[in-house]
Amino acid sequence: MKLERELDRPLWYLLPGGLLLAAVTLFPLGYVLWLSLQRHSPLHGPPRFIGLDNYLRLAADERFWNALWNTVYFAAVSVALELVLGLVIALMIERTSRGRALFYGVILLPWAVPTAVSARMWEWMYDAQIGVLNYLAGVHVNWLGSPGWALNAAIAMDVWKSTPFVALLLLAGLQSIPRDVYRAAAVDGASGWTVLARITLPLLAPVMLVALVFRTIDAFRVFDSIYVLTGGGPADSTETLSIYAYKVLFQGLEFGYGSALAVSVFVCVALAALCYAQLMRKALR
Amino acid sequence: MSRWAPALLLACAAVLLPACDADGPTPGSTVVVFKHGKLFGDAAPLRALLDEFERLHPGIMVRDETLPAGSDEQHQFYAINLQANSPAFDVLAVDVIWVAEFAHAGWLHELALELPPQERSAFFPGPIEAVTHQGRVYAVPWFVDAGLLYYRKDLLEKHAFPVPRTWDELARTAQAVMAREPGIAGFVWQGKQYEGLVCNALEYMWSNGGEVLSAGRVVLDTPRNREALAFMADLVHRYRVTPASVTSATEEPSRHVFGQGRALFLRNWPYAWRLFQDPRSRVYGKVGVTLLPHFEGGASAATLGGWQLAVNRHSRYPEAGRKLVRYLASVPAQKRLALAYGFQPARVALYRDPELLAAQPFLATLERVFAAARPRPVTPYYVRVSQVLQSELSAIVAGLKTPEAALAAAARKLREILADEA
Repeated sequence: MKLERELDRPLWYLLPGGLLLAAVTLFPLGYVLWLSLQRHSPLHGPPRFIGLDNYLRLAADERFWNALWNTVYFAAVSVALELVLGLVIALMIERTSRGRALFYGVILLPWAVPTAVSARMWEWMYDAQIGVLNYLAGVHVNWLGSPGWALNAAIAMDVWKSTPFVALLLLAGLQSIPRDVYRAAAVDGASGWTVLARITLPLLAPVMLVALVFRTIDAFRVFDSIYVLTGGGPADSTETLSIYAYKVLFQGLEFGYGSALAVSVFVCVALAALCYAQLMRKALR
Repeated sequence: MSRWAPALLLACAAVLLPACDADGPTPGSTVVVFKHGKLFGDAAPLRALLDEFERLHPGIMVRDETLPAGSDEQHQFYAINLQANSPAFDVLAVDVIWVAEFAHAGWLHELALELPPQERSAFFPGPIEAVTHQGRVYAVPWFVDAGLLYYRKDLLEKHAFPVPRTWDELARTAQAVMAREPGIAGFVWQGKQYEGLVCNALEYMWSNGGEVLSAGRVVLDTPRNREALAFMADLVHRYRVTPASVTSATEEPSRHVFGQGRALFLRNWPYAWRLFQDPRSRVYGKVGVTLLPHFEGGASAATLGGWQLAVNRHSRYPEAGRKLVRYLASVPAQKRLALAYGFQPARVALYRDPELLAAQPFLATLERVFAAARPRPVTPYYVRVSQVLQSELSAIVAGLKTPEAALAAAARKLREILADEA
């Protein structure tokens, strides 16, 4: 009897938190799912249930596929670069004995600036006529105006902004690796590369996965930097899923179709998270 | 639970009551909220005008609330609030491209009495067309805007070229002057994938006799439009008088390039004129302005912009709102705002007003531009139409698609939108 009551109680303790969570996440998510099954726009009169029609339209919408490809490309390239650069920076800081605090401060700056502000800054630097980038490099590249460059330019900004976050996370991971392992390796006469490949990287893998999860989810939802830099152009070459969903939902006022797009962003993010969860389970084993 | 209820009620009352006191109307007076985009400069002249309205209409108070200057942000604010039947504002300033959409959604009061048929000729015809949806008017034109051609008088004189009247003349003049003036771009305009690109492109199509919609049908994919847009792309890729960076240019970057004396021609809105007239400007005294060129056999056409006044369908005080619209759109009010802010009034008569002309001689030039200015396709689905056009036009300017391919694709998508909505 007593035991039963003790088991009972924690569930009650969870209730307020659970209700709050349901109110702020499950309810909106369910509502978006419900909207995505409707033809719902102030311009169409009362909303109408249309089943999966919005998703069929999605499958035939070349602009959606273009946005999906742009999003995947953006996420893959930016996250890969951020991970490699973040690792290099973390390893360098770990080896520094003096002025570490200064390092922390300086590398965190890009991460601390609001994205919309830094995007405006990068827009000016990228400007083909008066931008500092072309001036310093002595070239005439149309960074934000040519379909071949624009998405890569947006990636470069994202790498600049988010690498510090990855570096900091990995640095924390590096510092949690037991020193004894390194001492043992030194006794065995292992070279620097061997230590990195056989000790540092495997022991850092769980933290790297956490960094990957955070960055991939963020990259899949990328909106503010691209909205400021290019608005999706030229010729839709930087239009990501979030940008397209925003245009359909908030500009075109197609709440039904826009919700289907938003659900597609959610599905992509969930799939990526699932893959990582699988990887993480393997890494931890 | 029940013993908590009175306490909860008291807490709610404590939170809500002072709020009512501070915000609620004093008995017997109506508070009309006027929502509009941020006006340039000082808010005082508008406030003075609203104070006078309050004096003339005892019992009505006006609170004016500003939105961010960006048109997209304002559209989003209005759409979300009007969609939710919000009575939080009574009178609103509406962009010329939204009237049909808002009217179709049932968000605006019809303003037949504020703008009766016999009074419509007092306004330019473009804005009147834009505020009319299915034969009824839903807004009163307030201020107008239209595309213009700015040119460097000094450079044209130096090299003995006349002001171009046709697009072909413009391209040839620009090529010739560029050859003799290193560091000068020929013609700068707005080619980023955004609303401004549609405004620019329509001016080429219209000035070649082309159209987008006609009587509710898509007439986009025509030889005239193909020819017009091929020329627009040729400015960049063949004549090379427009820098390739036009694909990321909006109004301000193009105005800057011209304002720094680094371009011969500029397509922009009237606001740029005041900035070039600043004695500190590098092009001060060197700038001329005229109608946009046209194709051989066509007529110059300018895209209309500007703001209209409308009354929220869910306003609690529609009658007071109507009074405010009538007052703000009146001749004296438009004149005072034009003098204070340099906006271009929507009423034709003010372009003959000696006092206003003395203060802003530029208005004399603008009258014929506005008289011929045309609204973008008037349809409730304009935003979606524009999104399709922005994407395809951007592909043309970037050289990714031929005008043939882009127009065929755009026409197909526009037909889908219109068929979908019918």
